[in-house]
Amino acid sequence: MRVALFVTCLVDVMRPSIGFATMRLLEAAGCDVVVPEDQTCCGQPAWSAGEADAARALAKKNISDLAGFEYVVLPSASCAEHIKNAYPELLAGEPEWAEKAADLSKRTFELTSFLVDVLKVNEVPGDFHGSITYHDSCKGLRKLGIKQQPRQLLAKMKGVTLREMGESEECCGFGGAFAAKFGEISTVIVDRKCASIRESGAEVVVGGDLGCLLNIEGRLRRRGDPTRVLHIAEVLAGEGQ
Amino acid sequence: MRSQAMFFQEQAAQKACDPQMQKTLAYVRPLFVGKRKKGLEGLAADGLGFEEMRVACQEIRDRVVDNLDVWLELFEARAQATGAKVLWARDGDEVARLLVDLARQHGVRKVVKSKSMLSEEADLNTAFAAAGIESIETDLGEYIIQLAGETPSHIIAPAVHKTKEEVADLFVAHHGLPRQSDITALAREARGVLRQHFLSADMGVSGANFLVAETGSAALVTNEGNGRMVTTLPRLHVVIAGIEKIIPNLQDLATLMRLLPRSATGQSISNYVSVLTARGGLALDSPVQGPEKIVFVLVDNGRADLLGGEFASMLRCIRCGACMNHCPVYTAIGGHAYGWVYPGPMGSVLTPLYTSLKTAQDLPQATTGCNQCGAVCPVGIPLPELMRALRRRTFEEGLRPWLERLGYKVWAWAACHPRFYHWGVRRAVRYLKWLAGGEAFIRVLGMAPGWTGGRDLKAPPGRSFQELWADRKNRG
Repeated sequence: MRVALFVTCLVDVMRPSIGFATMRLLEAAGCDVVVPEDQTCCGQPAWSAGEADAARALAKKNISDLAGFEYVVLPSASCAEHIKNAYPELLAGEPEWAEKAADLSKRTFELTSFLVDVLKVNEVPGDFHGSITYHDSCKGLRKLGIKQQPRQLLAKMKGVTLREMGESEECCGFGGAFAAKFGEISTVIVDRKCASIRESGAEVVVGGDLGCLLNIEGRLRRRGDPTRVLHIAEVLAGEGQ
Repeated sequence: MRSQAMFFQEQAAQKACDPQMQKTLAYVRPLFVGKRKKGLEGLAADGLGFEEMRVACQEIRDRVVDNLDVWLELFEARAQATGAKVLWARDGDEVARLLVDLARQHGVRKVVKSKSMLSEEADLNTAFAAAGIESIETDLGEYIIQLAGETPSHIIAPAVHKTKEEVADLFVAHHGLPRQSDITALAREARGVLRQHFLSADMGVSGANFLVAETGSAALVTNEGNGRMVTTLPRLHVVIAGIEKIIPNLQDLATLMRLLPRSATGQSISNYVSVLTARGGLALDSPVQGPEKIVFVLVDNGRADLLGGEFASMLRCIRCGACMNHCPVYTAIGGHAYGWVYPGPMGSVLTPLYTSLKTAQDLPQATTGCNQCGAVCPVGIPLPELMRALRRRTFEEGLRPWLERLGYKVWAWAACHPRFYHWGVRRAVRYLKWLAGGEAFIRVLGMAPGWTGGRDLKAPPGRSFQELWADRKNRG
C-alpha cells in the first residue's frame, strides 16, 4: 500500500520528530511510505485569512503532487480537514479540478483515523509509561469525527493510564493566526485548557495537532507548569519516553 | 445604535485583561453550557433527537427565507384582517421615527418596553428621550443596564456582566430606597418600581420572537412576565420585528419552541409563551384583555440584502444565544467588545453585514474556527463558514493592511515554488533556533508579539523535516 506522508508545514519547521514518528507508525503498519519532496503547505492559512486565490493555487499544486498515491496521511486533523473539505469547495467552479479534489478528499486521512478506521491496526510499535490526558482538537473532533481513534490506540499501550480532562472538547485558543493576532483573547482561552490539564493530574498532555500543542505548551511553560506536551504520533511510536 | 466595532481589538484585549470581567465570565460560562446540555437531555427523554429537530427547525426557517416576499404579504394581509396596522421601516432611523410619530399621534407620555434587540438596532430609547417621551425598559436585565446607561452585553441576558453589588448601587442611586443585598430582594424592589410604570404607561413596545403568518400574530418567548404586562396593559401596543422573523403557522411555532428555550436557557419551555393578535371586531368592553390597538413595524435594516446570497442562511437565526454561550472568544471577552447590538459569532456575521464590513472587519477575524457555534446552532447556520466568507470578502475588497496582503501573496507564491520555499524554511528554522539562544523556548518573538505576549514558543531543533529526511535518504 503506497502511502504519501504529508508532514505539514508546521511539523516541517517546528517539530520534525513528529514526521519521523508518523513514518515509523505507518511503516510498522505495513505501509510503503513515500515523502513527496515538493510538499510545502496545504494552504489552510491562506483560506482562513480569506486569500482564496492563494488557497486555490496551493490546492491545485497539492492535488497534482499527491496524485497516484493510494492514501495521503497527515499528522494533523486540521490540515487533513482542509484537504478533505476545503479543496472541493475551493475548486467547485472548475469541474475538472473539482473531480480531482473530490478524489483526493476520499484518499486523505488524519493519522489516528487512518490507523484505526482504514488499517484497523491491533498494535502500535511504541512503548510509553505514564499518565496521559488527551486534548481533542476542534477540526478533528467536530469536522472529521475523531474522538475515539487516538484513545483506542493509546489503550493498546500497556503502560499508559488515560486521565480524561474536563472539557477536553473545548478549543485551546490556537486558531492559526488567531493566537498571534488576538494574543490576549487566546491567552484567556488557553488558560482554561491549562487548568483542565492540571486538574486531570496527568503527567503528559497529548494531542493530534501541532498548532494546539505549541499553544498549550507555550502557555504551560509561561505559567511555570512543567506538564509535558507530546504529539500522539510521538507517543505511539515510542519517542516520548 | 452606532457601531463601535472598529475598536474591537483594543476593547477585546482590555476585557481579556480585566479581572472582574474574567471572574464574571468564568462564573457564567459553565451555567449556560450546562443548562443547554441538560435541556437537550430532556429532549432526548421525549424521544426526540437534536439533529432531527434541528433539521425540522432549519426547514421551517428556510421555507420562509426562500420566499420571504410571499410570506410577508401573507402576514400583512392576515394581521390587517385582525385589525392590526402594519408599517414598514427601511432602517433603524425609520423605526425610531415611526415609533415617535405613533407616540405623538396617540398622545403618549410614557412607553414601557419589553426586551427587543431590534430596538437596540434602532436606538429607540435615545429617540424617545429626544422627543420628550419617557421610555422604560421592563426586562430586569434591560432595566438594569438602562439605569446604568449601558448597552446589553448578551442577547438574552443583557446585564450578565453586572454583579449584584453593582445592581444594588444602581438601585440605591435611582430608587432612593434602602440598599438591598440579596438578589431576590433586588428583583422584588425592581418589580415594585416597574409595576407603577406598567400601570401608568400609554404605549407598550415589544419585539417578536416570531411573526405567525397564518394568524397575523406575534409570538413572544419570555420568562419574567413583564412581556405580558407590556403587551396587554397600555392602550397602544407596537411590535417591532425584523422581516425575517416570519414563520408559517402555529404548528411551526410549536416545533421551534422545542429548540429555542432549550438552546437559550436549557428550559423545556419558557415561563411565558404569548401569542399576541389584534382584537379584530371585538368590542373594547368585551372580556378579552389587551390593548385597543396593535401596530406591527416590520424592519429591513440590511436583512433584504442577504436574501438569495451566500449569507442568506444567517436569516434563519432565532436569537437563542447558544453560539455566544459556547464561543471560546465570547466567553473570554463578553459582549461589549463586539461594539454593536449582537455579540458573539452571530454578531461577527451580522455586524459587518448590517453596518459595514470595513469598520467591523476584525469581528470575523476574531475566531479560532473551532465550530462550537456551528455545532450548537438550533437552525444549522454554518457560522464559521459565514465568518470565513466575510474574511474572503474583506480580502477581496482590499480592506486588510497592505503588509498582510503582501505577506500572504509572497508566502503563497513561495509555497507553490518548493525549491525556493524549502530554502526559506532552512533559513527560518536556523533563525528561530538562534533566537532561542540555546534555550528550549523562545520568550520574545518580534514578528509575533501577540504570541509571546502570553506564551513561550518551543524552539525548533534547527533543521527542517525535509532536510533531515534528505540526509537520512542519502545515508541510505
